[in-house]
Amino acid sequence: MAPRKLATALAATFTLTVAPVALADINVGVTLSATGPAASLGIPEKNTIELLPTTIAGQKINWIVLDDASDTTKAVQNAKKLISEDKVDVLVGSTTTPNSLAMIDAAVESETPMISMAAGAKIVDPANPKTRWIFKTPQSDALMADAIAVNMKASGVKTVGYIGFADAYGEGWLAELKRSAQTAGIKVVAEEKYNRADTSVTGQVLKLVAAKPDAILIGASGTPGATPQKELAARGYKGKIYQTHGVANPDFLRVVGADGNGTLLPVGPMLVWEQLPDSNPIKKVAAGYITAYEKKFGPRSTFGGHAYDATMLVAAAIPEALKKAQPGTKAFRAALRDALEKADVVATHGVFVMTPHDHNGLDNRARVMVKIENGKWVLLK
Amino acid sequence: MRLTWSAAAVVVFLALVAGAPMFAPPFWVTLGNYIGLYSIAALGLVLLTGVAGQTSFGQAAFVGLGAYASAWLTTSYGSSPWVALAAGLAFTALVALALGFITLRMRGHYLPLATIAWGISLYFLFGNLEFLGGHTGMTGIPAIAIGGLELKSERSIWYLIWGTTLASLWATNNLLDSRPGRAIRSLRGGYEMAEAFGVDGARLKIVVFIYAALLAAVSGWLYVHLQRFVNPTPFSIIAGIEYLFMAVVGGAGSVWGAVVGAALITVLKQVLQDVLPQLLGRTGNFEMVVFGVLLIVLLQRARDGVWPWIERLLPKAPPAPVRDAAPLAPRDRGAASGPLLEVNAARKTFGGLVAVNDLSFRIEAGEIVGLIGPNGAGKSTTFALISGALALTSGDIRFRGASIGSRPPHEIARRGIGRTFQHVKLIPAMSVLDNVALGAYLRGRAGVGRAALRLDRQEEASTRAEAARQIARCGLDAHTFDAAGSLALGQQRIVEIARALASDPTLLLLDEPAAGLRYLEKRSLATLLRTLKGEGMTILLVEHDMDFVMGLADRLVVMDFGEKLAEGLPAEIQRNPAVREAYLGGV
Amino acid sequence: MDFSIAALLAQDGITNGAVYALLALSLVLVFAVTRVIWVPSGEFVAFSTLTLAGLQLGKASGIAGLLVAMAVVAGLLEVLSAFRQREWKRLPLRLAAWTGAPLAIAGVLKWAAPLAPPFVVQILLTLVAVTALGPLSYRIVYQPIAEASVLVLLIVSVALHFAMLGLGLWYFGAEGSRTPPFTSATFDWGGVLVSGQSLLVVATSVALIFVLALFFNRTLYGRALRATAVNRVGARLAGISPAFAGMLTFTLAALVCAFCGVLIGPITTVYYDSGFLVSLKGFVGAIIGGLSSYPLAAAGSLLVGLLESFSSFWASAFKEVIVFTLIIPVLLWRSLTSQHHDDDE
Repeated sequence: MAPRKLATALAATFTLTVAPVALADINVGVTLSATGPAASLGIPEKNTIELLPTTIAGQKINWIVLDDASDTTKAVQNAKKLISEDKVDVLVGSTTTPNSLAMIDAAVESETPMISMAAGAKIVDPANPKTRWIFKTPQSDALMADAIAVNMKASGVKTVGYIGFADAYGEGWLAELKRSAQTAGIKVVAEEKYNRADTSVTGQVLKLVAAKPDAILIGASGTPGATPQKELAARGYKGKIYQTHGVANPDFLRVVGADGNGTLLPVGPMLVWEQLPDSNPIKKVAAGYITAYEKKFGPRSTFGGHAYDATMLVAAAIPEALKKAQPGTKAFRAALRDALEKADVVATHGVFVMTPHDHNGLDNRARVMVKIENGKWVLLK
Repeated sequence: MRLTWSAAAVVVFLALVAGAPMFAPPFWVTLGNYIGLYSIAALGLVLLTGVAGQTSFGQAAFVGLGAYASAWLTTSYGSSPWVALAAGLAFTALVALALGFITLRMRGHYLPLATIAWGISLYFLFGNLEFLGGHTGMTGIPAIAIGGLELKSERSIWYLIWGTTLASLWATNNLLDSRPGRAIRSLRGGYEMAEAFGVDGARLKIVVFIYAALLAAVSGWLYVHLQRFVNPTPFSIIAGIEYLFMAVVGGAGSVWGAVVGAALITVLKQVLQDVLPQLLGRTGNFEMVVFGVLLIVLLQRARDGVWPWIERLLPKAPPAPVRDAAPLAPRDRGAASGPLLEVNAARKTFGGLVAVNDLSFRIEAGEIVGLIGPNGAGKSTTFALISGALALTSGDIRFRGASIGSRPPHEIARRGIGRTFQHVKLIPAMSVLDNVALGAYLRGRAGVGRAALRLDRQEEASTRAEAARQIARCGLDAHTFDAAGSLALGQQRIVEIARALASDPTLLLLDEPAAGLRYLEKRSLATLLRTLKGEGMTILLVEHDMDFVMGLADRLVVMDFGEKLAEGLPAEIQRNPAVREAYLGGV
Repeated sequence: MDFSIAALLAQDGITNGAVYALLALSLVLVFAVTRVIWVPSGEFVAFSTLTLAGLQLGKASGIAGLLVAMAVVAGLLEVLSAFRQREWKRLPLRLAAWTGAPLAIAGVLKWAAPLAPPFVVQILLTLVAVTALGPLSYRIVYQPIAEASVLVLLIVSVALHFAMLGLGLWYFGAEGSRTPPFTSATFDWGGVLVSGQSLLVVATSVALIFVLALFFNRTLYGRALRATAVNRVGARLAGISPAFAGMLTFTLAALVCAFCGVLIGPITTVYYDSGFLVSLKGFVGAIIGGLSSYPLAAAGSLLVGLLESFSSFWASAFKEVIVFTLIIPVLLWRSLTSQHHDDDE
């Protein structure tokens, strides 16, 4: 049952139509943060790569996965290794925004297309000519922050407090929250920072609560997102609590427990594919991927979805590029880049419609608001 | 010059460095570049931690200073990386001076923790300053250009990185083999001894600290223009620990340890990443586990790091011969009045205990005076008061007419007092020649800069010649190039005297020189001291061994319970009933 | 800031400070007896919380696997040293202690985990399992280089920290865990709400410190350890083997860390890599105590906890900057007012 389901799911995504021709293998280099502070994001990404088929469009494909330990230096080293030793045709990675930013020069100078799995909009900033070679799959924080601001405005929130990681993730979200809150006429009345492994956030939470905001956004990923939320509950905070899509994994629900009830967050639709209407094309794709993932690795993570989407983009671009050049050549990499820029792919997190000005290609279809109710994600209609 | 084996090894190494970018696979060049960068930062730690004994976890923070300074100046103000380098070095030196001034006063375990503290502070500061790109980082940093040639490719920047690495190695090696180098090597463990020869230990520590920080800043500058991106993660406290790791694993006692350590750690991580997934399948992240276990095993087998192993395989280079050179200028003694040394109602109390009770005596030029007394009489305390190791509670000590009471030891040494130690304080791994040359510290003037650039050779040759002369004067010329630690105790005591003589002293303070010596050793020591007296030296001898002093001293001062019991010619003292009482007690 | 906020911050600071104090205590103990700066102490804390959280879910394979692996290595080392010294008589006993006992603990864990034993039993199992890692790590890692310099011992500690961190990620995953609270009671003391959980943490820490003080002052083994701390050579002459003292020290220190892990489980989320920062703060406390004075180390830890709590209120972005910058003058003061003998060791 399950293996067949996986086969159908993959057949649906990786169309096996072109007749096999004897060409060189296609090498896809993946660097991700399977250890270090971003490990909870990188591990599902790494797992996802293990699910992928080894032929696309009749062409043998090698997935070469390296761990960069959430470290920018190592990410650049990995990128250089993949480019110069493995002669990869496309780079996938890395998990975090700083790591991806750091890799850009290596990718651009070797003219290798790169698909990042990190959120920062700066990675594909169209104003920077280097980003011609760079794409990314996760929704930009801006897209998600807008969803939060819209939801806040609709429910009459006038003031918002922010507490987030003292790292690139928390910093990116704070910037986007400020921007989208201003557009929505909401005032940011407090901003606090904490570290992923902090044992206590009492000080920050007391200060947040003292500012009496109508709502609080927690800019964190994974289980550490539960630390301020539990503290807010203990201090009797009664306003609305928003989280980011970074916490959308079962471990967060396990750790936050009953204190998570009523929390709102924007996520990619894959998280709640069961609740999507059948008319949504994303549902089928997400169902295929998540069923296969959960069969092998346990509960879903949206970060795995970003990796899967990246490989779907690659898979869609390969047949186009094969028409123009041989894998392993400069021309093939350029053709891949051109094909990626024209990609129009229904994936697990949304529908990617790439253009020369938008190397992320996602729109409002890539986000839904969900609410936590009794340890479950519930789609808001 | 004869082509020695080690010179050949250096030539092979240089050829490898020069040829690598042309022949090696591109990723090896990439790795090589990182190894070069890390070597420079680790080299700073070899000097600071391995040689000077000051453990620092903060090296990564200084790498960050150099990196951020250049990143900010080149992106925000469009300045040239070279200008940014100069500015970054100046800024790093200032920060290191301030931090060193505060934290290097700390001894023992406080210093490492203080380095952790400011290492963490600087890391979070980088992450929280918006103009530095915050935690996300800064992009668009330009490549370094040399005369219009942009060093964008791995191959082109290789020569800059390894050129800098080799230059740093050369300069640091020069530094260690020089006047300030000997003083730096003596900081570890022998702090008190170094001070006694005029080394201002506190100041020297700060100088070494700044030197290490500047190396780190250079490494950071190269890093940021190689990477062309910067964010705080490479400068975290974990990175600081890794630099220390490289230095210790490579061998923190030698400059080559830095290169070996940086190469070993970088290559090991890379190999593990390549090999482990094939060995174990793709089920986990075992790199870190295997890395940790391998290093534990390695350090269990080679505590001093890997370099000593390699060094043993290389043929040993013969020591550089001592050449004739212009003699060092004698010390400027200035005008003097009154007796050579005058102890005037000197008093030292520890809490309620009076260790020295208003002691007075004087020494005239050309005398050998023995300060004797039973155990606990206050001899050693008196010695410490004269040498400056302890401060007076009240009273005064005058040397050649000027007060030296409560002055720091290096200042007392400057006035012409040379000393030895009750517990021999030599640097065991250093040759006898170098140990004795340290005694001449105050007679030279070469500083860190001149030494590192090898502009001190003339003075160095004179120093070595002087040291060799003093060794010969004490009859140890057969052992000139032996490691001081390999000598017998009696010989080590004589090395200490030679070292004191190298400082061209007016007064020689000897702290229990006969303790632990065998009969024959005592006899040759006594002969040496008599010869010195014959040459006009004044000697104060603190001694427990009555027989030894009796035959040697012109005059004796006897102490008991912190007070002067008697003073006079040896024969008088021998007849003094109070002294007999004190020494023989109720027996 | 009003009084109630200050009181809450103080409560938070004292609770965390109490945990740091326990860590500081174990660090001082380990350093005084073996000269090891015990960097991986934090991993013992994290392993303890995560093992307890795992037992809650009926799992114990991680820690059991580690015990088995270490038992095998320790056994091999014993056989090797017996072979080298041609001394076979004591080998069976040593094998029973170094291999048999840990294997038995692992077996019990594996057997008991799926049975969902009562919470108290789970805590006991956790304490026993994590404590057993202490002497095993001493036997395998530190005993062979017991005479090396402080710097080398420190670097070996860091290597062990890396290895344990990697194992922690493998066994427990990247996500964190909490354990259920011991109590949900709160007390109103003159308008200040005090949580029962915090009180329990502080009370247990104080009790543990008291018990350790009794152990050191009143028992033969405790005195033996103190003697070793004061004078290693002397202790050896008096018949206290350094290997035995080291093993005993690491057992005690691991037990204290295991307690720490159990205590913080309900008040915070613990991750595989949480340990380093917690132990670093304990280390700060320990250093303020000069790595030798227990009361000063405890006071230093409290100071760190309070600094942290108040600075996270005032300027959370600069919390670490504030805490670690304010530590420097304290260190300077301690350094200038305390006695030093030799610069290295």
